Amino acid sequence: MAKLVTLTIDGITVQVPPGTNVVDAAKKAGIDIPVFCYHPKMEPVGMCRMCLVEIGRPVVDRATGELVRADDGSVKIQFSPKLETACTTPVSEGMVVINTSQKVKDGREDILEFLLTSHPLDCPVCDKGGECPLQNLTMEFGSGQSRYIYDEKMHSAKHVPLGDLIYLDRERCIQCARCVRFQDQIVDDPVIGFYNRGRALEIVTYSEPGFDSIFSGNTTDICPVGALTTADFRFGARPWELNAAASICTQCPVGCNLTINVRREAISQGRMAIKRIMPRQNEWVNEIWICDKGRFGYHYVESEERLDQPLVRKDGKLTPVSWDEAINLVSMRFKQAGSNLLTLVSGRLSNEDLYNIRKLTDSLNGKSALYTQMGGGDVVAQVGMSTGSNLANLGKGDVILVIATDLHQEAPIWWLRVKQATERGAQLIVANARSTRLDRYAKYPIRYAYGEQNNLIAALVQLIDPQKFVDAKAIKHLSEQSIIKDTAEALKAAQNLVIFFGNEGSGVADSQVLAQTCAILLATTNHAGKPNNGLIPVWQRANDQGAWDMGWRPPTDLSTSIKEANALYIVACDPAGDDPRLSLTPDFLVVQDLYLTPTAKLADVVLPALPFTEREGSLTSGERRVQRYYPAIPGRTGALADFAIAAQIAKACGITLEERSAAKVMDAIARENADYAAISYTELANVEEQWPIIGRADLYYGGTSYENKQGLGMQLQNAVQKGEPFQISLPELVEQSGEGLLAVPITRLYDRGNTLIPSQLLRTHLVSTVMWINAKEAKQQGVEEHDVVQIECGETSALVTVELEDAVPDGVVLVPRSVGIPISEPCRVRLHITERV
Amino acid sequence: MNTLLEKYTDEVQTILAKYPPDQKRSALMPLLYLAQREYGYISKQAMNEIGEILDITATEVASVVGFYTLYHDQPAGKYRIQVCTDLPCALRGSEEFLKQLCENLGIQPGETTADGLVTVEEVTCLAACDRSPVFQVQTPDGLVYHENQSVENAMKLIRTWQSKP
Ligand code: SF4
Ligand code: SF4
Ligand code: FES
Ligand code: FES
Repeated sequence: MAKLVTLTIDGITVQVPPGTNVVDAAKKAGIDIPVFCYHPKMEPVGMCRMCLVEIGRPVVDRATGELVRADDGSVKIQFSPKLETACTTPVSEGMVVINTSQKVKDGREDILEFLLTSHPLDCPVCDKGGECPLQNLTMEFGSGQSRYIYDEKMHSAKHVPLGDLIYLDRERCIQCARCVRFQDQIVDDPVIGFYNRGRALEIVTYSEPGFDSIFSGNTTDICPVGALTTADFRFGARPWELNAAASICTQCPVGCNLTINVRREAISQGRMAIKRIMPRQNEWVNEIWICDKGRFGYHYVESEERLDQPLVRKDGKLTPVSWDEAINLVSMRFKQAGSNLLTLVSGRLSNEDLYNIRKLTDSLNGKSALYTQMGGGDVVAQVGMSTGSNLANLGKGDVILVIATDLHQEAPIWWLRVKQATERGAQLIVANARSTRLDRYAKYPIRYAYGEQNNLIAALVQLIDPQKFVDAKAIKHLSEQSIIKDTAEALKAAQNLVIFFGNEGSGVADSQVLAQTCAILLATTNHAGKPNNGLIPVWQRANDQGAWDMGWRPPTDLSTSIKEANALYIVACDPAGDDPRLSLTPDFLVVQDLYLTPTAKLADVVLPALPFTEREGSLTSGERRVQRYYPAIPGRTGALADFAIAAQIAKACGITLEERSAAKVMDAIARENADYAAISYTELANVEEQWPIIGRADLYYGGTSYENKQGLGMQLQNAVQKGEPFQISLPELVEQSGEGLLAVPITRLYDRGNTLIPSQLLRTHLVSTVMWINAKEAKQQGVEEHDVVQIECGETSALVTVELEDAVPDGVVLVPRSVGIPISEPCRVRLHITERV
Repeated sequence: MNTLLEKYTDEVQTILAKYPPDQKRSALMPLLYLAQREYGYISKQAMNEIGEILDITATEVASVVGFYTLYHDQPAGKYRIQVCTDLPCALRGSEEFLKQLCENLGIQPGETTADGLVTVEEVTCLAACDRSPVFQVQTPDGLVYHENQSVENAMKLIRTWQSKP
């Protein structure tokens, strides 16, 4: 480590690494220097001059190079005649910084006066009022009186929708460029910018649609004034009325830490209501950012359609009944079904729910199945991210391999973290059948044909260790390519290796094999079981990993399993909505969900569950970090947490399951599941100080992202780390075969899943029932852009609209998942035009 | 369709060739110049087209257009007369010059003559303070300076434009 630099700030001695700027050095010493344009996650630009301080440096005798000393022996300090910007000034040995003198205060007063010359000062109606750095700093350092005449203020537009999610108030902008720099430097979506100069300067967007970025909400957190506000929270409440509950995003396997702001309000009939979702700092997971799906996609939890009492089918109609009646009926029928009971769940549930439901099913000798389109969770338990890993630690010398996934759309914050790792010098390999946004940062962008993903990884393994996959014909044409040879060399030389794998181009079985080959690659290159190394599954749901850890597995053939069952217990998934042709006609169907989904409409009994905002629980992220969420508002009467419902059914069957609290269920998990042995709700609530220090009184420093006071979670140990033997055998490789047009489902961020559709705000962003095809292939197939075609895959079919897209490989059409197209894994299709515009 | 690229394929390529391929965005200024010569101003479509050529967003193109006073985002007369009215020029009577010029043309500063030929604008220092009154004209063929001007001179010049086909 480089030698530390020693300086004093307001008489306090601080030691910091060379290159640290004065603002950060002061922050480390617990001293706040006011800033507007500087943000600890971005390079300083020195635009606003708010951070002016007095800076003195030791006087050095030029002839001797010695420090000049005063008569009393102390080092002579020379102060520069003017104030200096602390954000752009790096520390130097012996530096003396004064942050509290009258001169400094006068400087601040002057800067504030300039900033306020045309500021509307409409704090009483401004969303930022109460958490506004400009307001706070004006209270602290402003003159209290303006020398400017109101009529001379420049006026400009106050309600400019930059897109449909973010509004701009041009009068309030103080031109700090934090938003512009965030979009450009951090998320590489430079779709907002400065226009004109000086007083005429304004923020503009020219993208179509406006402010076209999936990270746009973050700009409202770091904007130091009320210039940028979200369509969600605008005029919704005053910040000081809000309570804050810690939570975890349930939209993808990243597991971003959230704060849910709530208040009791008249417009919600005196109930507690969620007013906004904010990021909560976790430098191991999401730093201080979240994506717009996490921020704006939560509205499903407050949907009018929510169920608030159990329903039982009577005379063919679903009729409200008491919990007792419903539970008695369910338990009786489940007991009768015994081993003919099939329980189907999804990774939308918490670990506690998954545990209890599994216990219930097992105790009745029923079968259990995970509703998913991807495999490999057991492999991840062996070689997933090891304890002590942080993607932020990856840099020079390290390698990241991303295969069969579009991280930008499937797990936005991982996309961001990978991009940032490349900026620190990590080498990136992006392998997919088509180009994705991550290619931009890849040193080795690799293309293969859909279906070849397993063979590609096998080829890399073979190049590194010729003893493995010997003579495999299926990989020969791959291992001969020079880019793949170079990639193998890079993998061999990697200090740390992280592999992200998804299921684009694979079904459950194929992605299971992909996980295995990736694990073998990690083991072959000697990276398994070390911190900052491991396999990260890009699951479709937030807690798929938890489901695997709780023992759930996808069935080999879902429709057969369903056909064979007498009683079906379907929790938190909607197979009938995804595939209307699936025959769901067991003797007895129980559906446990938030609303009357297409599946629930077929049920004999419907049990209303509580969403994550109204209960406690824990989720296991793709990085195998277990994190807990807290209830943000009281649970709606009539509905119960899934784990509690399972416990009640169990009780009626004579089985004892924990139902008092999620924490107690976790204790049971810890007793039984060795991987979770160290986990408890108390441990999950542990925090430590994180850098940068944000969310305290000096909101101007980090913005309105919340400090993490409720828990950073715990990363599980993987099997290799625990010293258990690596038990993954070489899979059989299959040569690519098959004729005809291949349809491949892909995951889009804004899908049409049940947990996104209710968000009115995102309505125009949701992907529609389309299929993407390249122009050449379209010609070959005789279809044109905007045609409505029937896409047929075996027995199933759907109507889709044709969209042309260059990135789609020849011989392939891509279809989005979760929009009601019943294609859940790659299949050969035929197209029939039904309508031409 | 990229009209600019299609119409000026060679010229665009010549401009791009001056910069390393991984720093294409450096060609932004000359491309904007090309677009302005073509259309008289930089339209939104031109911003999109240039962004497409350079692999940058239209917003990034717009930021540069907005920053430089010599790029225009609104259509105006074929000839843009830009009169300096900064302090040194004002001391040499430029404000009066501007006023009379506009009166002669029957427009206000910032406006365009009815025939769409001439726009008169005020600008800051043109670095010819000692030869004031001074104005520059943005013409379809480029930028021309006119120093030590009188209103008569200026009007004579304008009449030569009027008589051009
Ligand atoms: S909108 Fe906000 S963040 Fe952006 S420049 Fe203006 S004040 Fe800064
Ligand atoms: S990246 Fe994933 S976990 Fe994070 S906010 Fe977005 S959807 Fe939620
Ligand atoms: S100039 Fe230092 S914070 Fe803006
Ligand atoms: S002030 Fe007019 S040219 Fe300099």
